[in-house]
Amino acid sequence: MSTAQQQRICSEWEPINKSEYRGIWVYIEHANGVIKEGSLQLIGKARELAGKLGDADVTAVMLGYNLGDLVKEPIYYGADKVIYIDNPVFSKYIPHVYAEAIVYLARKYKPEIILFAGTKRGRELAPYVANSLRTGITADCTDLDVDPKTRDLDQVRPTYGGNMLAHIRTPTRRPQLASVRPNVFPTPPRDTSRKGEVIREEFNEVIDPRGPGLVEVRSVVKGDELPPVEKSDIVVVAGKGVGGPDGVKLLTELAKELGGTIGGSKKVVDAGWLPSDRQIGQTGKTIRPTLYIGVGVSGAIQHIFGMKESRIIVAINSDPNAPIFQYVDYGVVGDYKDVVTKLLELLRNRKKG
Amino acid sequence: MKEGLTIVVPVKAGVPNITAVRFDPVTHNIVREGVPLMLNPYDRNALEFALRLKDKYGGKVITLSMAPPSGKDFLESTVGMGADEAYLITDRVFAGADTLATSYTVARTIQKLFPNFDLIVFGEETTDSTTAHMPAQVASWLELPYVYYAVDAEVDVKNGMIRVTRYLEDEGVYEVYEYKLPVIISVYKNSNPPRDISLNRKIQARLSGLVKSVTNNELKLDTFCVGLRGSPTIVAKLEEAKPIERKKQIFKGSPEEAAKWLLENLVKEGVIKA
Ligand SMILES: Cc1cc2nc3c(=O)[nH]c(=O)nc-3n(C[C@H](O)[C@H](O)[C@H](O)COP(=O)(O)OP(=O)(O)OC[C@H]3O[C@@H](n4cnc5c(N)ncnc54)[C@H](O)[C@@H]3O)c2cc1C
Repeated sequence: MSTAQQQRICSEWEPINKSEYRGIWVYIEHANGVIKEGSLQLIGKARELAGKLGDADVTAVMLGYNLGDLVKEPIYYGADKVIYIDNPVFSKYIPHVYAEAIVYLARKYKPEIILFAGTKRGRELAPYVANSLRTGITADCTDLDVDPKTRDLDQVRPTYGGNMLAHIRTPTRRPQLASVRPNVFPTPPRDTSRKGEVIREEFNEVIDPRGPGLVEVRSVVKGDELPPVEKSDIVVVAGKGVGGPDGVKLLTELAKELGGTIGGSKKVVDAGWLPSDRQIGQTGKTIRPTLYIGVGVSGAIQHIFGMKESRIIVAINSDPNAPIFQYVDYGVVGDYKDVVTKLLELLRNRKKG
Repeated sequence: MKEGLTIVVPVKAGVPNITAVRFDPVTHNIVREGVPLMLNPYDRNALEFALRLKDKYGGKVITLSMAPPSGKDFLESTVGMGADEAYLITDRVFAGADTLATSYTVARTIQKLFPNFDLIVFGEETTDSTTAHMPAQVASWLELPYVYYAVDAEVDVKNGMIRVTRYLEDEGVYEVYEYKLPVIISVYKNSNPPRDISLNRKIQARLSGLVKSVTNNELKLDTFCVGLRGSPTIVAKLEEAKPIERKKQIFKGSPEEAAKWLLENLVKEGVIKA
């Protein structure tokens, strides 16, 4: 094959020189002066990957208006550098405008890897950025690694129901993009003594927003006051086996007693016993609490998917052959109502005296 | 502004049983040929979203899918649900496409066949690949505004403006976006419960040939931009997912004993304070 043939690429892709691309970027998502946990976790992972590559640094990329001291935060969590744009354009979030700004920065600085937290907004931005750079992207990776020789990012993602892991690579294009759901990696410690470089970029590209874009934001008042599932160290999860809203109520008491929160399987959410933002699993939230307690949860692979990284896994199920027992540290075979009631009694007695 | 809206709903033929699939030993891609296909469930919510807009503002809803020839059948079910016409983009050169190459094929097909479209409405993601890449990637090829997780929309047909309400589940907020048409939307999967598929309409679709096939003979896309060659990502390896080693201690006994046993172990593990 001649070189000309080898180099024949899609007429809409710019030819690239892979060796011009260096460094790992993490797109930093933030709201109300707080950086999203998922972005901080990626800084930690990026540090590790940069170590393997040898000559790569970790850069946090931020967009916003009146960012102030927030731009220093990524450094405290392990970034070497922060590149940011502070511009009224970003006072409201408009997906294609944000995405175009990231594309603009990536064209200028040529990072070899860009990571996004797989939040709702991250999953919306990342594919547009990848596409505009005519490169590959892998969604919802559960692990990342690099090959120091080829500098290819090994993007691991569960596929086809979670039974298989696919290792995806982008050997011929740069940058390489991936999104990772929050809580797949741990949050690195915050160290305010860390130093790094902070670079302010201007954004003069005029993007036709084709309308005002975001015009209204409404908060939904939540009916329950327990913390969100991805924020809690202890998560008690109700499965279909708890039989109904009363079962969920009993487990909510247990969650409160333990200082944790309540989650549910898909069946419980579909039945309307819990809101959908409490669903654990492939199509719900990924959690990695110190303690997961699944009650009346059968342990379908799509569910296991969202909790298998928990430090200690406990299950209570009346069926000794329930698949979830394959994944537990401690399993109790029994009717959930009896066991949970007794457990609550014990916990309350302990408190009393 | 012309009469009514032209809404394109790209849909995917999902592989129904994701745990019993075959893989191509060389490319590691899923083998779709000869597998009975079904409409990705979340695409039905998207189609419902589009049909409601059509019911309100008039116009037509066109579904389209890139799939093997067997995809005709599931496209007939989109007509059964209420789509006016359906297009099957099918050609061997499109095989093995990743999301970049697929979005390219879909975007350029829409430009060619329906240059005056007002809206492209996607489902949130597919249940067999769950990437949610397609809407943003098509938006990038067409350089259009886009918004994910839409639950509702209102159109000002006279001025060609749309107001889209979307729900961000993880933040618990609704946001409203206003854009000039055309725009790209993806529909929140837990919204717009889909109407039934009428068997009559489905049969009618077959009898009157409402599903049309298009190949690259008509589309004339650069073959280096589509299929395997237009795909920058490769599946380097597929392996069984290995679970973390667990203690797997199982207790059977009275509820009292079980509760005591559990509590002792959790305290010992340090996950519950002693
Ligand atoms: C594409 C796709 C995505 C999915 N995504 C998710 C997801 O994100 N999250 C998710 O959870 N699921 C998901 N699912 C669904 C998943 O396959 C299972 O259907 C679901 O997890 C089962 O929920 P469950 O364990 O609560 O209910 P069931 O499977 O009905 O299990 C109930 C369990 O309760 C036990 N039980 C009954 N009575 C009692 C009692 N009195 N005391 C104790 N135990 C009792 C039973 O033995 C049984 O094991 C997905 C499926 C698909 C196809």
